[in-house]
Amino acid sequence: MALHELGYRHWEGRHRGIWRRRWTISAHGLKAVLANRWMRYVLTGAWGLALLQAAVLFCIGQLLVADSLIVQWSANLDGLLRTFIGSLTLWLEQHPEISVRTTQNLVFYNFSLLYLTLALLAITLAIPHLITRDLSSNAIIIYASKAVNRLDYLTGKLGILLGLLTLVWLGPLLAAWLVGNLLAPNWHFFWHARIPLLNSLLFVGGGMVFLSLLGLAASAVSSKEKAAVGFWLLLWLLGNAFVPPGQRQEPWLQHLSFHHNLKQIAEAIYQPKTELERARDNIPVLGDILRRPMHRHLRDWRAPRTRPAGMALGILAVGSGIYLLRRTRTE
Amino acid sequence: MSEWVVETRGLVKRYGRLVALNGLDLQVAPGAIGLLGPNGAGKSTLIKCLLRLHRITAGSARVLGAEVQKEGRNIRRRVGYTPEQDCHIPGMVGSEYVTYCAQLCGLPFEAARQRAHEMLDFVGMGQERYRRVDTYSTGMKQRLKLAQAIVHDPEVVFLDEPTNGLDPKGQSQMLRLIQSLWREHGMTVILSTHLLHDVDQVCDQIILLAQGRLLVHDSLEHLKAQRRGAAEVVVSDREEEFAQACRQQGWPSEILSNGHVRVEHGGEDLAPILGVLRQNGLAALEIAPSPNALEEMYVQALETAHGAA
Repeated sequence: MALHELGYRHWEGRHRGIWRRRWTISAHGLKAVLANRWMRYVLTGAWGLALLQAAVLFCIGQLLVADSLIVQWSANLDGLLRTFIGSLTLWLEQHPEISVRTTQNLVFYNFSLLYLTLALLAITLAIPHLITRDLSSNAIIIYASKAVNRLDYLTGKLGILLGLLTLVWLGPLLAAWLVGNLLAPNWHFFWHARIPLLNSLLFVGGGMVFLSLLGLAASAVSSKEKAAVGFWLLLWLLGNAFVPPGQRQEPWLQHLSFHHNLKQIAEAIYQPKTELERARDNIPVLGDILRRPMHRHLRDWRAPRTRPAGMALGILAVGSGIYLLRRTRTE
Repeated sequence: MSEWVVETRGLVKRYGRLVALNGLDLQVAPGAIGLLGPNGAGKSTLIKCLLRLHRITAGSARVLGAEVQKEGRNIRRRVGYTPEQDCHIPGMVGSEYVTYCAQLCGLPFEAARQRAHEMLDFVGMGQERYRRVDTYSTGMKQRLKLAQAIVHDPEVVFLDEPTNGLDPKGQSQMLRLIQSLWREHGMTVILSTHLLHDVDQVCDQIILLAQGRLLVHDSLEHLKAQRRGAAEVVVSDREEEFAQACRQQGWPSEILSNGHVRVEHGGEDLAPILGVLRQNGLAALEIAPSPNALEEMYVQALETAHGAA
């Protein structure tokens, strides 16, 4: 039998909508990205960090439980540490609405930045799977000849990074919040921890969109994988190299680092300095013990340069968007 | 609903100072259409403009009644396309790739997977569908390109040089597949090629482009009928005597380099030639009516175009 006689049947089903097609691009890309062995290590690291964060939140909650292991253990300690834990416990009991928020806010601030480093590593590993390989294999033409346009293609590709960053950054952070507060001694913790949660959603959400755009643009820089990854690393690490000289001489130099800019935004959102000052002023014993070193530290702590950081990130994001639209043209 | 699958009015496409399409007016009815022209004639550009892969500089174009400038995505859901160059989505095996292409056209996953396997059967791909596309030979890639172009059951399929790089057997199989799309399954085929044999075998309409202009748009049958009847005759010997006898009948005749005698008899059937052979006691080994009619028409049209330019 001739091959072409195997038959052709017409299809009479219902077509799926455009969001489903975009999702197809994202899901397929995410599957390809997660197949990488190193990516699985990064994921393991992120969820390990989430466990650690949940454990820290759990320990803070345990300070309110009179017969908890931590309280019992602290009773056996000597000197400063016992006084510190005792005062923290007292503060937590007397002002839960402030204390839970302050401690969790500080925890979430620090952990958000730790997850950020893992997120940047994850993007490094994902870059070849985004647009780079499509450029090298002319796959852009295949996409463009299907029922998706350039914007759909880019939305789908953006979805890959958003999905990846959800797994590496937002997901672990939310899971830690949930588990940490579920294990807290009372349900009020959920309510008191709403501000750290909102801060995290704001910072991580914005950071995810920004990093996804930037990562996608980096992957469109070249059809060669090494060149695209190299460009991304240059953007990340070389940018960071400008931060120390920027601190000493020209502050604007620091804004060449998107990583530094993100940290500035995190500081502006979580306001760790304000939270530390609040802790110092509200925990008498803590204030007495740490007043002098903390005072010096807080005094030297510069206010975040939110506006230039935001502008630098905005310029990079808009530039990435424009570059992506130009780079993925089929003409 | 438009009766035309493709309709263009004053279609212009410029790349800087280069004019690739120069005021093209077309109304193409459903069928198997051969898009012919020498390199740089604007064939691929026309297809890319119709799919909105390239922006139209001026004029308008409609595909299946939908405005190309406004409804690019909707049009591409209803048409298929095999690009000329080698392109695939890296890292995928053949069946996964075709399934993915179907999903990009809006088919649900289950239907997409089923259609993908049906189309891979249709184009004659066996177990190699489970191999990575990157490892395919040129022939397999051409088949795969056809499968991904028709997997969503389009109404029109644009095929840009689909037999490039295929061996004669592969070419023949590919042409039979393409032929069956219109003749057996009613899918309009627009075949862009510079191989006249492909067009002659598959198409019933011809669009001939040169330098971005439309030279000819007609049915193949009508074009062939317009030409003076001609035949190539293989006689056992005495070729010169036969050619002379034909000339005496007023038919221009020449002996070709392969020894065949080409006779422009002007008629529709071969009976007058047989009569001359009989009168002169000659035996013909083979008589082929107008073997290069399409090629002659092609060359003639191009010469006319060059003359006009």
